[in-house]
Amino acid sequence: MSLPDYAELHCLSAFSFQRGASRAIELFERAQQQGYSALAITDECTLAGIVRALEASRETGVRLIVGSEFQFADGDKCVLLVESGQGYARLCQLITTARRRAPKGSYEFLREDLGETGGLLALWLPGAQPDESEGSWLKERFPGRCWLAVELHRGPDDAARLASLRAVGERLSLPLVASGDAHMHVRARRPLQDVMTAIRHHTTVAQAGHRLFPNGERHLRTRRALSAIYPPELLAESVEIAQRCTFKLEELDYTYPHELVPQGHTPTTWLRQLVEEGVRWRWPGGERDAWRKQIEDELALIRTKAYESYFLTVHDIVRFARSENILCQGRGSAANSLVCFVLGITEADPETSNLLFERFISADRDEPPDIDVDFEHERREEVLQYVFKRYGRDRAALTAVATEYRGRGAIRDVARALGMTPELVGELSSTLDRWSGEVPPSDRLRERGFDPDTPLIRQVLALTVQLIGFPRHLSQHPGGFVISEHPLTTLVPVENTAMDGRTVIQWNKDDLDTLGMLKVDCLALGMLTAIRKTFDLLRDSGRGEYTIAGINKDHKDDKPTYDMISRADTIGVFQIESRAQMAMLPRLKPKAFYDLVIEVAIVRPGPIQGDMVHPYLRRRNGEEPVNYPSEKLKRVLERTLGVPLFQEQVMQIAMVAADFNGSQADALRRSMAAWKRHGGLEPHREKLLAGMLKNGYSREFGEHLFEQIKGFGSYGFPESHAASFALLAYVSSWLKCHEPAAFACALINSAPMGFYSPDQLLQDARRHGIRTLPVDVRHSDWDCTLEPERDARLQPAIRMGLRLIRGFSEATAKDIMAARKQWPFVDVADLSIRAQLDRRDQALLADSGALRALAGHRHRARWAIAGVEPQLPLFPGSTPETEAIALPLPTRGEDLRADYALTGTTLGPHPLRLLRPRLRARHYLASNELAGVPNGRPVRVAGIVTLRQQPQTSSGVVFLTIEDEFGLTNVVIWRRVVLRQRRVLLASRLLAIEGHVESEHGVRHLIARSLEDLTPMLGELDVRSRDFH
Amino acid sequence: MLWACILLPQLALDGVLRRHATPDEPLVLVDGPVQRRVLRAVNAAAKAQGLRAGLPLATAQAICARFATVEHDPLETTRWHDFLAAWAYRYGAQVSRQMPASLLIEVEASFRLFGPWPRMEALLREDLVALGFRHRIALAPNPWAARALAGVHDGLAITHDAPLKQALGQLPVERAGLPPEAADSLRRMGLRRLAQVYALPRAALGRRVGADTLDQLDRLTGTLATPLTCYQPPDHFESRIEFNYEVGATGQLLFPLRRMTGDLAAYLAGRDGGVQRFVLRLEHERGAATEVPVGLLAPERDGGMLFELARGRLDVVQLAAPVRALQLIARELPPFVPAGRDLFDVRPQQAVPWEQLRERLRARLGDEAVHGLSVHADHRPERAWRDHGQSAPAPPQPRPGWLLPQPIPLRERELRILAGPERVESGWWDGDVRRDYYVVETAAGQRAWAYCPVGEREGFMLHGWFA
Repeated sequence: MSLPDYAELHCLSAFSFQRGASRAIELFERAQQQGYSALAITDECTLAGIVRALEASRETGVRLIVGSEFQFADGDKCVLLVESGQGYARLCQLITTARRRAPKGSYEFLREDLGETGGLLALWLPGAQPDESEGSWLKERFPGRCWLAVELHRGPDDAARLASLRAVGERLSLPLVASGDAHMHVRARRPLQDVMTAIRHHTTVAQAGHRLFPNGERHLRTRRALSAIYPPELLAESVEIAQRCTFKLEELDYTYPHELVPQGHTPTTWLRQLVEEGVRWRWPGGERDAWRKQIEDELALIRTKAYESYFLTVHDIVRFARSENILCQGRGSAANSLVCFVLGITEADPETSNLLFERFISADRDEPPDIDVDFEHERREEVLQYVFKRYGRDRAALTAVATEYRGRGAIRDVARALGMTPELVGELSSTLDRWSGEVPPSDRLRERGFDPDTPLIRQVLALTVQLIGFPRHLSQHPGGFVISEHPLTTLVPVENTAMDGRTVIQWNKDDLDTLGMLKVDCLALGMLTAIRKTFDLLRDSGRGEYTIAGINKDHKDDKPTYDMISRADTIGVFQIESRAQMAMLPRLKPKAFYDLVIEVAIVRPGPIQGDMVHPYLRRRNGEEPVNYPSEKLKRVLERTLGVPLFQEQVMQIAMVAADFNGSQADALRRSMAAWKRHGGLEPHREKLLAGMLKNGYSREFGEHLFEQIKGFGSYGFPESHAASFALLAYVSSWLKCHEPAAFACALINSAPMGFYSPDQLLQDARRHGIRTLPVDVRHSDWDCTLEPERDARLQPAIRMGLRLIRGFSEATAKDIMAARKQWPFVDVADLSIRAQLDRRDQALLADSGALRALAGHRHRARWAIAGVEPQLPLFPGSTPETEAIALPLPTRGEDLRADYALTGTTLGPHPLRLLRPRLRARHYLASNELAGVPNGRPVRVAGIVTLRQQPQTSSGVVFLTIEDEFGLTNVVIWRRVVLRQRRVLLASRLLAIEGHVESEHGVRHLIARSLEDLTPMLGELDVRSRDFH
Repeated sequence: MLWACILLPQLALDGVLRRHATPDEPLVLVDGPVQRRVLRAVNAAAKAQGLRAGLPLATAQAICARFATVEHDPLETTRWHDFLAAWAYRYGAQVSRQMPASLLIEVEASFRLFGPWPRMEALLREDLVALGFRHRIALAPNPWAARALAGVHDGLAITHDAPLKQALGQLPVERAGLPPEAADSLRRMGLRRLAQVYALPRAALGRRVGADTLDQLDRLTGTLATPLTCYQPPDHFESRIEFNYEVGATGQLLFPLRRMTGDLAAYLAGRDGGVQRFVLRLEHERGAATEVPVGLLAPERDGGMLFELARGRLDVVQLAAPVRALQLIARELPPFVPAGRDLFDVRPQQAVPWEQLRERLRARLGDEAVHGLSVHADHRPERAWRDHGQSAPAPPQPRPGWLLPQPIPLRERELRILAGPERVESGWWDGDVRRDYYVVETAAGQRAWAYCPVGEREGFMLHGWFA
């Protein structure tokens, strides 16, 4: 007997969050195996998962029907299926309406939402006691397009249920159809589905009771099983309905906005004009032939792909930012485009870097280009608002990010659902790194006191593996825009975000890629803010007018700057300030811009794991000959001394040595990024080796190269990206070298950003001979400011701003500044009244020492402010107190404590300087004395812990940075010591270390042998370490 | 008047340790939100491991591998506080537990009974050591000073104003019981000890720290007397009747019992409460008294019913010795919720109301023999009901009234399937069940509930009967 045909019309995927327990691809593969005619993905009031479903449908050949399940706010559920393009637009609108009226993550579906319904089909899902008025109401809305869905799941009496629904159908003359309410692809997902239900209800599986499904029938059942449950005509009806739904997502009519072109121009001619203007701006002396040729090639390709409007849009956004004096710079693959360079979107000069346009757009890859632009982090919102205003809220929206379960979150939710106590859940989740995509290995579990062989832990692990990678909820992408000619809600539903007044579309970047929709990424970069603020400070203090491009051009190859970088004197500088970078700098000794590009790219897991760092360094230091496999490859690898360091080089090698074309090379790059998760490098390997053999390269060389590519994994850095970053690294280094006061000032004013706290930045400034002045209500602004020194050759002093006082508000600071402008403050009462300070503000000012000039030391200031009485409007002025009050003078320790507690830094002596005599008595060296200590000699050092780092790749080694009055010392603590002295390591703020010095190429580390907690010596000093895990 | 302050520095922890089998193992009290659990108190062994109060639990776990954690329960702490107040009540008529973690006793009036201070102090300490509570004790002419001094100087006893003034002067500002903001403010003015504060001009000081602070400063010196809320022992019902003859049979106790239950009912009515449990103590000439506990499923206060219940319990008591006195003690006096009565109650005269029948059965058959059934939300039939606890709403599926304790094979041949299969697949976390249930009719016309393995239709197991 042949099996009846069937199409599943009611099926949820993982994008019905915490309900659907299978991914789209799993569902479609199952539907394919079972020979379903079609599969509808009907996630609950969302289309967030529909593009994944489309991809799965393409992969399996099972036809996708687009639909969605709704729960009426006051009644039954129904499923709406898309019959035609018109219906699709309506569905998007319906979802948008229902979602927009409810808070983030929820929806409210009202009857009045169902107006015109042409192009949509409805399945009525009656409750346990069918309410016939509900059915007839829906039938009226969907004349001839409404069915009664019969969903039988081996309940107490399926036969009775079927009979009663049949009777209802007859009375209402509604046709019946079989559907499955599938929540998973196979029965075996029942445990995961139960766990999801428990997570959704914030309970445990044991307590979820009847909120769990009674059985595992809600999967894509075999057609044999279905034929035993449903009468044939109900199954046949499902196929009939599926055939009516002819809509395909590919039909979506997405058009890029047109309006950017002035009268008399087409997008093509307008782009041409802007490009020619840009060429003259970039190269006033005329461009090189090669560049002209590349520009023409790019323009031709842009024309073929009809991407002109996209380039015009990005140009428009960048132009807006420039006009508002907001610094911005393109990053990523767009830096490979000369068109982007001449349009001012990117800054990577073809003179100094190699551009590979295929990395950006390729002729036979049907995928839109991706231009990412960084803006000052504090002002990006202005850019976003501009885009919203320019295109209107209905045509521009942010893209979504589907937050996925990673190891830690997954194991936590699963363990909780299985009823483990909060303590155990916390303990268990701490066996994983935050971003880990795997379950913890057994020995890690044993270490934490869990027995991995108990049934409970086995269940937790098995379910965690399943849950990892599942979407959790939808949130907004920080700056990814999609813009459309037609209202977006005809293309994709729009929903609310947690932020007021923000809306996002339900698709993420990859979804847009799949459907060929264009997006613009407006990202936020703190360093741009800091650089712009440095420029402002320099201009306002008459120290000069600078721009990023100007510094890169006019102050190129500045020797003092490169000397400073080579000394690793780079606190606060972009990218090359991390500990790993600072360890590399003295070995690499950058002398020119391209060295910085390499420096940025080389301290990455990719080159490190691909074992490219040491060969490169050896060749650079002349310890190893530089050779090339062939003359052709020499051109590709020459700039990195024969060692491939960038993604682009891998692509070029494939093109030059193995005859890949641009798109094939790009496909190789993509697999490189993903092979660890998905595999799939083998076909490329064969092709690469074959091509190389043909061109006369040895198999051995080919294999070696391939291994290097693998090592790159997902961490390889594109050269274009490194070049964009290196530009900012150079500009920030130059500023630090020549204008350290303004640079430090601007960094603090842009906080929080980067690795270093304001305290560390100020300490660094002081070590560079810059005077820092305390907070003072008579002089301090909200921000830190520059005060010129009498000797104009000196760097200006930094006046600490009121922003450094913890808990002080910007509005109050502005009030003080405004009041001060009228006339100087006479005393504390005058200040309090004119700047309208409340008790809290007053107390903060007094304790931070900002009232010193008005009231004396901290104790007197406290007394003074406590005596200021709230002013009655009719009687200005207060009766002055005549009694002289004797208050004790604060001790140095008290001042130090208050400084740290209030402003996180002190202008008085460094705490270690106060402790130095005691430390000296115990034979501790200061950090500046380590320089003279030979390798291996035992030493003792003490300092305040400023950074603890335990990288994932370090197999238990902890890196520590300690600070004393002279500077920073880097400490390496091997696993053995970590295990033995974990408590001291984690709890100490002032730490003493016994060990020995190791130095190589001017990089010095202290290798710890034992640790001692000296924290009690600090008293109550508020010294906080920033812990990175 | 002289006030003793007993400060209980680790009341919560001591309360926990009292009932802990191994108080010498590291143990910590934790509280705070789930995301940020913090150690609230640690015992000596935990302290030796480097743990201290205020440490986040996660950090503590990183520092020390093994220690017991106990959830901090403020209610339990309050109960211990009450318990100690009741204990202190025997040492003085004025006892206050108004100040957190401390007890204040007016002791001067009790010196006649317990002897002068050092001796009385020794008594207090002896008791507290025996009870297992760490403590600090100070004596002062007023309770506020006693409280403040106990915090800094255990064992200090001051009976006159002059030495009091001196002792107060040495008190650190933050230990003087001042409003925290004021103490903070004073400390930040560089004022460390109260003497410095008392030396300041009063008006100028008052302007800065507020009237509350001035009041507390005055209370410490005794210039301002603020009455304390005094502790009242808890109210409970106790009634005792002594016989001037020996009672040999329980039947003879019924008359006094009826009076006592009547009194209890009146008392309950007066305080608008009910009783859920009370005890009858039958005192004998020699030996321990016989205790007869009487428990109810729900609070009641009907005199007739209380009597019936007590009588039911008394009936089954075998008297070992003659009874000289009868005592009724009721401590559990929860609020009473009357049963709704229909205005037109048509209950026949002889019928016993359901509650009364239930209680009578319990009294006759024993507590274990009578219990309610409650629905438990679980798809597995054998776990879908329990004999106690809160009842969940009944599931919509038809379920048999009589569920067998263990399913047994259903050997009947002539089965007619009325409904099914109803598939039950659930409980993988602690005993997975996968069955197809059928409602079947036997040849004799009984309706049975039976199942077979999923997907099969033989090997029926009988699991229940429909009425």
